[in-house]
Amino acid sequence: MADLSALKASVLNGKRVVAETLAREALAAGVDPVVVMKEALIPAMNEVGEKFTAGEYFVPEMLVAAKAMKAAMEVLRTKLVAGSFTPAGKVVIGTVRGDLHDIGKNLVKVMLEGAGFEVIDLGVDVAPEKFVEAAKQHSAQLVAMSALLTTTMLAMPDTVKALDAAGLRGKVKVMVGGAATTEAFAKEINADGYGADAAGAVSLARKLVGAPA
Amino acid sequence: MRRNARLVLRPIGVEMSVKPGTALADALVVHGVEFPCGGRGRCRGCRVRVVEGSLAESAADRERLSAEELAGGWRLACQARVEGDLVLELRQWSGLILADETSFPFEPSPGLGIAVDIGTTTVVAQLLDLTSGQVLGTRTALNPQARWGADVMSRISAALAPGGPAMLRDAIRTQIASMVNSLLKGAPHAGPLTSAALVGNSAMHHLFLGHDVTPLSRYPFEPEHPEAGWLNGGDLGWTARARDARVLFLPILGGFVGSDILAVILATRIHEATGPTGCTDLGTNGEIVFTAGREIVVASTAAGPAFEGARISCGMRAAPGAIDRVTQDGKTLTTHVIGGGTAQGVCGSGLVDAVAAGLDLGLIQPSGRLAKDPLPLRAAVGLRQADIRELQLAKGAIAAGIRILMDEVGLPPGTVCPFYLAGAFGNSLSVAGARRIGLLPFPEGSVKPAGNAALLGAKMVLGMKGLGAAALASLLPRIRHVPLERRPDFQELFAEAMTFPEGSPQ
Repeated sequence: MADLSALKASVLNGKRVVAETLAREALAAGVDPVVVMKEALIPAMNEVGEKFTAGEYFVPEMLVAAKAMKAAMEVLRTKLVAGSFTPAGKVVIGTVRGDLHDIGKNLVKVMLEGAGFEVIDLGVDVAPEKFVEAAKQHSAQLVAMSALLTTTMLAMPDTVKALDAAGLRGKVKVMVGGAATTEAFAKEINADGYGADAAGAVSLARKLVGAPA
Repeated sequence: MRRNARLVLRPIGVEMSVKPGTALADALVVHGVEFPCGGRGRCRGCRVRVVEGSLAESAADRERLSAEELAGGWRLACQARVEGDLVLELRQWSGLILADETSFPFEPSPGLGIAVDIGTTTVVAQLLDLTSGQVLGTRTALNPQARWGADVMSRISAALAPGGPAMLRDAIRTQIASMVNSLLKGAPHAGPLTSAALVGNSAMHHLFLGHDVTPLSRYPFEPEHPEAGWLNGGDLGWTARARDARVLFLPILGGFVGSDILAVILATRIHEATGPTGCTDLGTNGEIVFTAGREIVVASTAAGPAFEGARISCGMRAAPGAIDRVTQDGKTLTTHVIGGGTAQGVCGSGLVDAVAAGLDLGLIQPSGRLAKDPLPLRAAVGLRQADIRELQLAKGAIAAGIRILMDEVGLPPGTVCPFYLAGAFGNSLSVAGARRIGLLPFPEGSVKPAGNAALLGAKMVLGMKGLGAAALASLLPRIRHVPLERRPDFQELFAEAMTFPEGSPQ
């Protein structure tokens, strides 16, 4: 019998090779890949988020856990029958125009993926119209933007306005984060929410798409 | 009650009245005297000669100074207390350029020169006799642009607003004009000012010269006007004696690597190094310089304000009341507080030391996890988990930057080479602590504090033919700016470098 708790532990401890092997073993033993996702990978990344919030984990632990999770996910992907796993939501993510600091954005991305979201990563220095285009094309529920600098966060309201102008705000919620931003700033620019860190971004995303925490 | 002691400083003729028992360092620091080793009696940079009066010999004096020097009245200023009237000759001011360990070619020319280091927080200006290279006076002031924000990015934001560029430009120009005026008044018979060399970070350069700062505000952070600015004293509203002076603002090297770093390269003589040599100026932006002997690479890394004590729960600047050093004896932590007295907070060097000692005692795990949160240091001052995380981000950014720049010039990790620490924080940092937390990967003996190297570099330019125009023209093509974040392995190296080493490095 496949050991899903060992798989969960391997992700939590950032053991990439072990996670990959255990995921393969689970599939070989006939476990449904959706069950592997729901009972091992997502709970593992949830716990990573909790440990991060509690100060027990920091960026390095989070990154190695994310790598282990992704390795296991790659194994599952080949066996995930289209439509068998419904993502928690679709998120378009990027750093705003003028900003190239993407470590925080990358952490948010892997944590969202770990929470079962489908993430479309537009990378760094993303222009407002690119966010709009991607949100349309992928029918995303969420647009997540990050800015590290006080000078580049000024591009955030431009993106919000562009989404408004494209008539997308009824369908798409906007979340912002990054060192320069605050809760008050998010309100001021008419965004739907602010995430203080990667774990906070996941609970915010769940709240915004109405998914259970 | 004893009367105040009268203290006279030569050769600049400053006179002051100080309370008996005052640390000499406290009296001198306000006049711009520098303490390259952070005032710990580890170098000879602050030595003074007692011309009249007396200063007791300290243990550090006997260690650092020869018997002849002691007999001749030389003392380390950082170790001395003022007990009575004194006349002192300051080594730093009398022969800073021509003599001392940091001697370099100085081409005498007629008249006076002024070197200015425009920092985001403070501005330092020194008046030099260009016939001899002697320093005739020093002025320090706060950068008046502080009213538009404490950090570089908030200044840039302010300059993006309508009317902003002129206000920020005029504020700094007025401040410097008044410092020039005051310095010249202090040397009434010394002739006209013939030249000035100014250095500063990229934002200070752009704001002073009136360039549009938009390129500095966003990706790809590539300045459109990195070149030197040439003006004359009259353009800047300087006093009559300075009206015809040629004023040079040294060129910048990149969006976040300013002419202060160019000056640091000159002062540490990295441009003349024939083998591996490096340097860092630690602050909110940590700039790093490396060479393997030919090409010079420079980079800036966003270290955040942890080294300045900001965003740390009990953090403060290196001022009286700050814990600035922490040691351990295998069981407990021992702290040192600037100025004695009750500990009110911890400054950057104290934070580095405290984490180093905490790692040695097992109170902090290599992952950065605190065994027990908070970790008490002294009185009500302690470290919280989030403080350790801030330091991990700062030191990770610097350590990853050093690793990448070494790689860019083909030096494998573990290469031993001279490594200079420029700037105020670098001078106060304990090298052992910095090594223990993995901030600096070099053996203790190879790390050298370089004092205010930016100002020294500006003074060197004053002593170069034609204000260094030809020398800089041949140097600049050898310098390559490396945008760290564009290296695909930056994130991985940064995250890796956030973790602390398991044990003390060899």
